[in-house]
Amino acid sequence: MNKLIKKTDIVIIFSVILIAAAFLIFQKSSDGKHIAEISVDGKVIETVNLDDVTGRVEIIPDTNPKVVIVAENGEIYFESAECPDKICVAGGKLRRRGDTAVCLPARTVVSITGSSADAITY
Amino acid sequence: MPLNRGERMKRKSVGIILAVSLTAVIGFLIYSHFFGNFEYNFFAMDTYNSLKISGFGSAGIADEIESLVYDLDVNILSRQSESSALSALNRNHGGPLGDDLRGYLDTLLDVYSKSGGRFDFTLGTVSDLWGFGKEGKVPDTGELNEALSLTGADKIKIKDGELTIPEGAVIDFGSAGKGIGLDVIRDTILKKSRISRAVVSLGGSVLTYGKKEFRVAVNDPFESGTMAVLTLPSCCVSTSGSYERFFEQDGRRYHHILDPETGYPVDNGLVSVTVVSDSGILSDALSTACFACGLDKGMELARTYGCDALFIDSDKNVYITEGLEGKTEITKDGYILKNE
Repeated sequence: MNKLIKKTDIVIIFSVILIAAAFLIFQKSSDGKHIAEISVDGKVIETVNLDDVTGRVEIIPDTNPKVVIVAENGEIYFESAECPDKICVAGGKLRRRGDTAVCLPARTVVSITGSSADAITY
Repeated sequence: MPLNRGERMKRKSVGIILAVSLTAVIGFLIYSHFFGNFEYNFFAMDTYNSLKISGFGSAGIADEIESLVYDLDVNILSRQSESSALSALNRNHGGPLGDDLRGYLDTLLDVYSKSGGRFDFTLGTVSDLWGFGKEGKVPDTGELNEALSLTGADKIKIKDGELTIPEGAVIDFGSAGKGIGLDVIRDTILKKSRISRAVVSLGGSVLTYGKKEFRVAVNDPFESGTMAVLTLPSCCVSTSGSYERFFEQDGRRYHHILDPETGYPVDNGLVSVTVVSDSGILSDALSTACFACGLDKGMELARTYGCDALFIDSDKNVYITEGLEGKTEITKDGYILKNE
């Protein structure tokens, strides 16, 4: 007997549903983590899962002035900067969602994603 | 070999499913592009700016905003940009004013007057002596006093659309430029668009636009992170703090908000003031003005303009105007909300 929907069709439908579900679960699972994004000139150049970092991870983006960003113990921060004011270094260690530090001369931004706020005034 | 009826049906139904799936994917991509949330960051106005936009044409709107901010900064507001209208006025000690610049100056002169001269936007020369953001140093007292004697917003004159700036005074929109940017973005781009919701941050000055409420976090002036969240409608929010631009010399910290009487950084126990207003230029200018006025006079000044404000002092006491009661949530230990 010919049916409009056959076994292979059901397999295709379930595959589509499974891929969609996997995508959603992947998105959800990243919600609970502390993901730091490092961007230069508005473009994300590196993401670091702070929960998975063991030891000390040093990130030195290709910027002028040079900045050294360090991730360790669930935190991320500008360790040093060759700019005059070093406000990014004084900004301290980032550990909570939405925490952000900016080095304007190096046009570099480090932020932990997933803030519940729409914006930060400073 | 011709396919039998069953195989033809099977191929047909697979084709239908694939077509539906493909249409759904393309539809989703088109929807995301035109109606979805769009986030974008860029550097301009000597600061880091971010946009979160939802609604029709969000990506295009973000492009428009970025171009506008560059244009406003380089061609009109920045005193560091040689090609700006403000630079020309400073260089020529005045000149004819366009309607926009006239409007900005009128507002800033009003804040100068109502703050009793504590908010002074003509301190460009004095500020340069300190070198904030460069190799900062405490200036020589003689140089500082000489520069101070030449400045003062009361010395600038506007008559028949013509501005006169006395020799030695330099107008600086640093304490209002981002707020002006927010007003222009809202009035010339967002209001004419089909955007349903937008959050525009020019540095730490924020414009919220849309019907539902927004959560705007206030930066912690003592360490990384934020210390409170304000639940706000569509509005502009700006903050001035002693932690923003500073340098240290001989173990002492010198910040960028200057006392127009002494030329030294304001030292009145406040570390941060946040102002909420319908107007961007007012929220920006008043955050500096209220900081310079101190807690009591600053509160009064915010109320004079019908604005709300949040003050933080060096002991982590938080003071808010009536309009922020019930809308302010302290999110970090150590801060004490004094109004409740």
